[in-house]
Amino acid sequence: MLEKRLIGVITVKDGWAVQSIGYRRHRPLGRPEVIAENLDRWGVDEILLQCIDRDAQGGGPDLALLERLCRRGLSTPLVYAGGVRSVSDGVRAVQAGAERIGIDALLHDDPHLAAELAEPLGAQALIAVLPLSVHNGALAWLDHRSRLSTPLAPALLDVLASGAISEVLLVDWQHEGVHEGFDERLLALWPMPTQPLIAFGGLSEPSQLRGVLERPNVVAAAVGNFLNHREHAVQRLKQSLAGLPLRAATHAPLDPARAWS
Amino acid sequence: MAALMHCRRCLYTSAHPLGLMLDAEGICSGCRVHEEKDRLDWAERWQRLESLLAPYRSRSGETYDCIVPVSGAGDSHYIVHLVKQRLGLNPLLVTYNKYFNTSLGIRNLANLRIRFDCDLIQQNVNPHAVKKITRATLRDFGSDYWHCLAGQTVFPVQTAVRYRIPLILWGAHQGLEQVGMYSHEDEVEMTRRHRQDHDLMGREADDLPTMFDTLKESDIWQYRYPDDAALSAIGVRGVYLGNYVRWDPKAQHEQMIERCGYRTAAFARTFDTYDHVDCWNYMDLHDVLKLHKHGYSKVTDHACREIRHGRLTRAQGLALVRRHEQAAPQHLDKFCEWLGLDRSGLGFLLDRHRNPRWWREAETGRWAFAGASTTAGEAAGVTMPPASAVFEANDVLAHDGIDGYITIGKGHP
Amino acid sequence: MSGARLTIGVVDYGAGNLASVARAITGLGHRCRVTRDTETLAAADAIVLPGVGAFPAAMASLHEHGLVDFLRQQARSGQPLIGICLGMQLLADMSLEHRLTAGLGLIPGRVRPLAGARWHIGWNTIEIDPEDALLSPSDGQSLYFNHAYAFDTPPPYCIGVSRLADAFTVAVRRGKVVGLQFHPEKSQLAGRLLLKNVIEGLCRA
Repeated sequence: MLEKRLIGVITVKDGWAVQSIGYRRHRPLGRPEVIAENLDRWGVDEILLQCIDRDAQGGGPDLALLERLCRRGLSTPLVYAGGVRSVSDGVRAVQAGAERIGIDALLHDDPHLAAELAEPLGAQALIAVLPLSVHNGALAWLDHRSRLSTPLAPALLDVLASGAISEVLLVDWQHEGVHEGFDERLLALWPMPTQPLIAFGGLSEPSQLRGVLERPNVVAAAVGNFLNHREHAVQRLKQSLAGLPLRAATHAPLDPARAWS
Repeated sequence: MAALMHCRRCLYTSAHPLGLMLDAEGICSGCRVHEEKDRLDWAERWQRLESLLAPYRSRSGETYDCIVPVSGAGDSHYIVHLVKQRLGLNPLLVTYNKYFNTSLGIRNLANLRIRFDCDLIQQNVNPHAVKKITRATLRDFGSDYWHCLAGQTVFPVQTAVRYRIPLILWGAHQGLEQVGMYSHEDEVEMTRRHRQDHDLMGREADDLPTMFDTLKESDIWQYRYPDDAALSAIGVRGVYLGNYVRWDPKAQHEQMIERCGYRTAAFARTFDTYDHVDCWNYMDLHDVLKLHKHGYSKVTDHACREIRHGRLTRAQGLALVRRHEQAAPQHLDKFCEWLGLDRSGLGFLLDRHRNPRWWREAETGRWAFAGASTTAGEAAGVTMPPASAVFEANDVLAHDGIDGYITIGKGHP
Repeated sequence: MSGARLTIGVVDYGAGNLASVARAITGLGHRCRVTRDTETLAAADAIVLPGVGAFPAAMASLHEHGLVDFLRQQARSGQPLIGICLGMQLLADMSLEHRLTAGLGLIPGRVRPLAGARWHIGWNTIEIDPEDALLSPSDGQSLYFNHAYAFDTPPPYCIGVSRLADAFTVAVRRGKVVGLQFHPEKSQLAGRLLLKNVIEGLCRA
């Protein structure tokens, strides 16, 4: 049976892994590759590496970071997001080691170009990253560069309906870093009931994660900041989510040779 | 390389090795988190601490409630005072022998144990392994302290597993206090990942034999973190009291000096006389290496702390930094004798670890410094700290007149 | 670890980052040679064929590097060959992805779009034929998938399925040629154990 996923998010700014609060404030955490290796050891279902300053720097994906991370040979699938502006950017990110890529700014600028990424990579390798909030009872879609929100563009919804992009990462950007902050209205107001969704932003408690993962069209929940506050954060969350169709927690032995003795 | 940015309030820069974020107003993440110290309801946070600790209190009184890592310096006296006297817990104190011990540190550690009437176990890793490791880490990444950091951070965790005592109580979280890595309200706990990334500069024990031909598993296994299955089975947890108590090292030390017999000493390289008195190297060789590699040294950490507590202005802090940070080390001979290096060999290593971002060899053997303090702005004219920021010493490092490394002290009942 | 250290060749034909595959192999205690040099690959105890992206581009790349006839030859001579993800699909006669493209033709069957689902993403359980000694220890394990096409192959060669609405092939075998639709190198402990059994089982038989 296909299981739902717990995704560990690593947010990177200026090459440094950070805690991100409300898409505005940042606190340094450490080196992205050390955090990735830790999430790998903890047995998270996927790792999302999101580089949040690439568009501002106009530099495309951070291939050097991606290569440095992947060189350590992670045994967990990796999603890369940040600065993918073109088909070749997307292909390069996958060549550098990402299983899948997330697209954000490109969906505002040219959603049909974003859809073209499905040709070389396949729709299964594409995720639409949508920072959303609720404004006057309707969904508002943030462009993080201008910090302006607008209604969801028809062109975006068309591209999603065409099946060119497999999953949507719904980011509650206002409640990012807020304990128990995730606003479930974002899921309730989402207009496409058959579109697979990943919930992200202010998910810190098992009860919230359970509520979100019980929804049929939610395939995964992503947690960023809150995975850095305690030892074995992933295993603890998974243990408290027993009963959901989620892969069970593991405690990898220190010495891999012990795994088959 | 990105341009160096200075915080407008304290003296830290974007080159801080723990990472530092500056916001739109030019104030750093460390200063922003420090603001919480004057905003949070510390009475409420103390209650949260009491609730957290409640399940760990032993009912029988025949076992330890927690482990408290200690040394002959730092906040150890205050931490044990909180744990034993204010929280009424029964701690097992653990300490790692750094080898670089001053007789004042030995005396303070004995005072801690005796004054607070606590049980204490000490780990002494064999000197052969410690020296082999230190030769390698010093040569390769300019660290004289890897074994100390590795031992201090892992021995309490190993003890928790071996003695089946799940709770470890630490003082303040260095990442939170210096660079605002976490909010107090995150209630961050100890993780292996943080130790690897920051305390051990990315190198865990098992990485060393891969890096160095001279080191084998038998030299490093004592520094290995317990595996996840063992930690999970015992339920090991490392909690930071600094998330629940308004942490102010100067005020805390003064309380311990006055009431609990803690003794202090002066250093050439900083104005703080309360911390690091247990080690001949920390404010000496180690601090010079820090200046060479990172372009700033411990006196900047002390100044930033005092600026944030409102006892120094930024300009006064900068004046103190400039006054102290180039002071010559005084105890290199002790280190050379211990490790079997000659002075010129050590000098060569020290120069090798000068980061060209901060140092330029103007002429052979003469180095021009371009570190953080040189671009930090205006310093105050007067270099003596104001009354509120004065630190006084009531002893010397060579307490008992013994001037040298003391591996195991004697003469304390 | 019982038995001698094996040497595994991983075909480097521009199919993306191979660090995870290499590390999975060295983590098992074996030597790994990531290369497109046919001599080195031929000298290995087994060849791993990875793959990323779309079928036609991957086959074009294999042709470009003169690896198509080589791989067919090596497989027919009995050298163990393990295809992973797209690498498994390349073992087929042909694929319908984008346009009809011929594959290596080492295991009969063709690659066609998944039925009843547009893609297969995430961790899913595998159901293994109990007769297959290599993979049956992994029956019921959860492995990571990320694909939109499936390999249709008749019964003797299909040794494992997964399912969404319907079941589809996720593991194939013909003699010493094995194909795995999932990513064992990205499936943590379950993947490591499976890869160990397949590599060591094929090489030490």
